[in-house]
Amino acid sequence: MRTILSDAKGRRFLTKRRIRQARNLVLGKEINQGLVFKLILYAVLIITSYIYMNPMLKMLVKMVMNVKDLVDPTVTWVPSSIYLGHVAEAWKLLNYENSLMISLFIAVSVAVLHCISCGLAGYALARLDVPFKRTIFFLLMLAFIIPPQVIILPTIMVYTKLGLNGHLITLILPSIFGFGVKGALFVVIFRQFFMTHSKSLEEAARIDGATALKFYFRVMFPLARPAILVVFLFSFVWTWNDTYYPRMFLSPTGDMPLAMKMTFIDTALGQFIQNGGFPEYMAEPIKMGASFLTILPPVLIYLFAQRYFIESVERTGLVE
Amino acid sequence: MSRKRVLTARSLRRLEGTLFIAPWVIGFIAFLGFPLLFSLYMSFHTVKILPNKVAYDFVGLKFYREIILNSSALYDKLIPYFQEVVLMVPVIVIFALMISILLNQKLYGRFLFRAIFFLPVIFSTGAVLLQFINQGEGNLGFLERFELGGYLDTFLGDSSWAKPVKEVLNHFVLVLWYSGVQILIFLAGLQTISTSAYESARIDGATPWEVFWKITLPAMSPFILLNLIYTVVDMFTFPSNPVIELVNTGNYGFNSALAWIYFFIIIIFLGLVILIYSIMNRRHAKNYA
Repeated sequence: MRTILSDAKGRRFLTKRRIRQARNLVLGKEINQGLVFKLILYAVLIITSYIYMNPMLKMLVKMVMNVKDLVDPTVTWVPSSIYLGHVAEAWKLLNYENSLMISLFIAVSVAVLHCISCGLAGYALARLDVPFKRTIFFLLMLAFIIPPQVIILPTIMVYTKLGLNGHLITLILPSIFGFGVKGALFVVIFRQFFMTHSKSLEEAARIDGATALKFYFRVMFPLARPAILVVFLFSFVWTWNDTYYPRMFLSPTGDMPLAMKMTFIDTALGQFIQNGGFPEYMAEPIKMGASFLTILPPVLIYLFAQRYFIESVERTGLVE
Repeated sequence: MSRKRVLTARSLRRLEGTLFIAPWVIGFIAFLGFPLLFSLYMSFHTVKILPNKVAYDFVGLKFYREIILNSSALYDKLIPYFQEVVLMVPVIVIFALMISILLNQKLYGRFLFRAIFFLPVIFSTGAVLLQFINQGEGNLGFLERFELGGYLDTFLGDSSWAKPVKEVLNHFVLVLWYSGVQILIFLAGLQTISTSAYESARIDGATPWEVFWKITLPAMSPFILLNLIYTVVDMFTFPSNPVIELVNTGNYGFNSALAWIYFFIIIIFLGLVILIYSIMNRRHAKNYA
């Protein structure tokens, strides 16, 4: 009697366990471990990414459509053939080789200079004994929130007086001192990074009698690789994309970086279409081609660096 | 003797600190401090550029009065843009918070999604983004599909909010594109919450919903403030920002005054953001204490 009862109990126990196992597989022990949750998560992420990337994908498709596909309303996503003529036109209109070299030159030099100058200032604010540190930190915050529009006119006047106006160097000059596009933010990033580092290294160096400058360039700067990567990428990309400073400082006819060339593409295209007798709908794919050419170099760099990049952001202590 | 050595060591360290910060301070004076004061000076003067010199005539508050009392630049362009910003900032921050929480789950292919959501930071060139906006890209398509435009018209009527709301909805996806950095900040912030906090909450029988409100949100609140400030500052350079067109080299005095008024609006804006944040933070703390 007793054995039968316990047997039945045991069997019930077993089935219960199996049900629980199945439930755990589908719903998970915790809500965020089950299969259902994962599926929903994937669905949400994929749909959002699709909406997010939609303008990009459209750009890529529009760019390679030939004339027949452009007027054909049934062709929305898959072009009948890949036509590179629009990209070639955009290449010519942007004066691509020339503008690309200018953009690369400016963006790389600004990014390198930002890494050096903002690193120095960030390290000083994080670790060194700086007189009036609080005041300087307040000025840094001020530098972060002052819109460039407030200071642009006097800067232009000074540049004109110095005979620099219209020169590409006007775009690089501020970054030597840690200013320029979002310079204050980069100082903050370096400061946060050095704050999280332990002090033992410095103390050891001080006992050894190393000067701060030597110690910084030999030890701290190489250690700051995550912060350098983040600052370099941000600085490169934002300088590359900036159209405000180039438009204010450079002349509209001379050499200009790619992003600025993009702002002139409407007028250039208007002329091109009128002179060549092309139909209006040709403008859009050429513009998309130009957009593609403009953003291609930073995207390539990002694809190459993104793995290290996102890890680095988490390690910079950007958030403390 | 020993005392003297301590003193020199200390002053040596101060000297080193000064040396490190000196380039930045010089840069601040040259590229920010001086232009800032000079533009303030110009905003009180009529500036005439003559062949060999620049003449300044003092006009007092004339330009400020002109702009505040009757200027289309302020009321037709800047104010509507600030209304757009009021709508865009919460959209961006909430979207970034949601996406970062999703991306923080343990998922296969997480890197791919992270890369996608950060990608727009790379290409939101002013010029490229403006092309997209002009071409009407980036709307969700539901405005036309569900004829929401009509509802919006009846709901908002002729109020000054109708146009900003429509503008934002028309390039909604492009607004979301401005959340890349914010997602990164939130993701980094989420790493600071220890898993043991979640575990103990679950053992105490808290539902995921409660966990979100009682653990995740309070822990994220400093990052929310950081992101709010960052987003507001970032909006100064949003490519559809009209001030980029307005402040040009046409009329130095008038434009300097305009830039300063713009700056003051931004400071008020930031002040309001911080105020609203602290009120909500306090209320939240009271409710879930």
